[in-house]
Amino acid sequence: MEAIYSLPFFVLEVPHLRLKKPAFIKAPSAMVTFGLILASYFLVTGGIIYDVIVEPPSIGSTTDEFGHSKPVAFMQYRVNGQYIMEGLVSSFLFVLGGAGFIILERSNISGLTRFNRIMLFSFGFFCIIVSFFACRVFMSIKLPGYLR
Amino acid sequence: MDAVVSNIPFLAKLGVYRFSQEKKETFLKLLILSLTAILSFSTRLFAVLRFESVIHEFDPYFNFRTTRFLTEEGFYQFHNWFDDRAWYPLGRIIGGTIYPGLMVTSAAIYHVLHAINVTIEIRNVCVFLAPLFSSLTTIVTYLLTKELKDSGAGLISAIMIAIVPGYISRSVAGSYDNEGIAIFCMLLTYYLWIKSIKTGSLFWSTLCALAYFYMVSSWGGYVFLINLIPLHVLALMFTGRFSHRVYVSYCTVYCLGTILSMQISFVGFQPVQSSEHMAAFGAFGLCQVHAFVDYLRSKLTDKQFQLLFKSLAITVGVVTVVVGGALTAMDKISPWTGRFYSLLDPSYAKNNIPIIASVSEHQPTTWSSFYFDFQLLVFMFPVGLYFCFSNLSDANIFIILYGVTSIYFSGVMVRLMLVLAPVMCIMSAIGISGILGVYMKNIEFGDSKAKKRPDKKIDTSYPVKSEIATGIVVMMTILLLTYTFHCTWVTSEAYSSPSIVLAASQQDGSRIIFDDFREAYYWLRQNTPEDAKVMSWWDYGYQITAMANRTILVDNNTWNNTHISRVGQAMSSPEDKAY
Repeated sequence: MEAIYSLPFFVLEVPHLRLKKPAFIKAPSAMVTFGLILASYFLVTGGIIYDVIVEPPSIGSTTDEFGHSKPVAFMQYRVNGQYIMEGLVSSFLFVLGGAGFIILERSNISGLTRFNRIMLFSFGFFCIIVSFFACRVFMSIKLPGYLR
Repeated sequence: MDAVVSNIPFLAKLGVYRFSQEKKETFLKLLILSLTAILSFSTRLFAVLRFESVIHEFDPYFNFRTTRFLTEEGFYQFHNWFDDRAWYPLGRIIGGTIYPGLMVTSAAIYHVLHAINVTIEIRNVCVFLAPLFSSLTTIVTYLLTKELKDSGAGLISAIMIAIVPGYISRSVAGSYDNEGIAIFCMLLTYYLWIKSIKTGSLFWSTLCALAYFYMVSSWGGYVFLINLIPLHVLALMFTGRFSHRVYVSYCTVYCLGTILSMQISFVGFQPVQSSEHMAAFGAFGLCQVHAFVDYLRSKLTDKQFQLLFKSLAITVGVVTVVVGGALTAMDKISPWTGRFYSLLDPSYAKNNIPIIASVSEHQPTTWSSFYFDFQLLVFMFPVGLYFCFSNLSDANIFIILYGVTSIYFSGVMVRLMLVLAPVMCIMSAIGISGILGVYMKNIEFGDSKAKKRPDKKIDTSYPVKSEIATGIVVMMTILLLTYTFHCTWVTSEAYSSPSIVLAASQQDGSRIIFDDFREAYYWLRQNTPEDAKVMSWWDYGYQITAMANRTILVDNNTWNNTHISRVGQAMSSPEDKAY
């Protein structure tokens, strides 16, 4: 084994290097990976691939009866079309709703002060309720016949 | 559980309250599962009730025609069928260019029913096959989630997948397409894979390979499975969870599964030639290396082992790269084909293959498609991920990988929302079950107050514990109720129209039904000579061969782009040039 392993060194010369792997490079922990996946979830459900391929405008515009152009936030009457900003806002709400539930789960642990616990609970409830109802409203703006 | 069950009067009348705790739980589980199966079947019947039991869309007509041929002529004729009524003048080798699982399943059910003298026509078997398999899917989803977390989460996931619109869109009654049974096969394969990872037994691994064979026979999307399972094995290796159970499971599944998958003519030798299958092969090799290294480590001293390991790793790495590069350069290993390549590089189809880019199902997904198809599940998916990451285990890593890859692929192509639907249901069920599990413990029911010890300290850092828990449970219930209303509305309005029959409402509210398509095809059938050739655009090809029974030039199986472009050229040129 040593004979084969030493073959290249008849030709090459080993340089005198002292290299060490830097200490801060290590495999990510579970929660760091979760954070990265959550960020990618935010981007993908916001329709970023649709944005890259179809290249819609950031906000639409329509002209009213006086000739002024007014901005339009949601592309209406179609489920398979969006503007860039509406997509990102909606996926932010998705992640906020999920984060609300995660906060609720973390509020149950022992060892929290009374103030912290009340803050966590109210923030969790707020996140869930706001994001859920806002998404419902957005969908009914987008599809005027939603839930009728 | 005890308090809940004994409060229901009719159950008390049945004498259920005299059962033991375990029997009550089993009874409740069976009741919920059977109701879920019935629910998933019935929610897919909107189109049949509104119109009639007819096959929808375009692709299902081809599947229906081949199934009819199979029941009439038998399997050997079907396998060797050369169809000269499509793609005139080229014809099409049906036996070698389809996935026969769907047709064989329908024909088997048809023959079994006829053997017991329940003579249901083949058209009705085909129309109702997808709802039947969706009921079976709910049961498999229950089993899979039970392996990942517990039976409570399993029940929630079964109920959610029964009504989730993302799955209903491709499995409504009348939609006789491969995806109807493919999702069932896929989840069955995953369930058996998880079981074999957990037990490491040859029995479960063999069953997994058989389920994989059924999956390969039913849908081209099996490529997703044969890449996800090796990816899972690699992830287990990188997180240091590789064990003899994983080794046994993966070797069995890969060897048996590949050999079985090559029995399907359409797949042929692709598993050893195309790049889409090379990841599985690479993982197989790496498995052997890893297991061998572990074995040596237990036998050698430390220093000898380090030397051997480094030299072996370098040699193996160099050899793999050189051989792989040489085979790809010599075209022995074919590169990724068009449809799958556009999943990795979404702009490829847009720039190079207009026919793939023009199909509306292949467009990228918007946020509203996600919300429309999943509603509550898009909120609960991160929660389920969080719970999985908190309790990492071999099985949880698998479902995390499945979830992350399907999120990305469904973002690229709307059609793949179907693959995302099961994992959305499973993850959300894990999340909901986790939250409810934490907070149901905090609720104090009225009758337990008397049992409280008088000197029990009230936790001042946690005010109104029981009330908050009740509030959370009530909120969750309301959210689930809105989910069901949304799903039923979406199924009824958006996903239940057979494209072959159209309906519109006039200004006074009455409906008129447009049956033009079928009348036109029937006219063709009755008023043209038997050997007439029909030239149309490829969308209508399958329906013309199935209903009008005439030879056509191009149809939906767009395998010959030059032929299609010739037809397009003929249609857009002036008459004398076209002839």
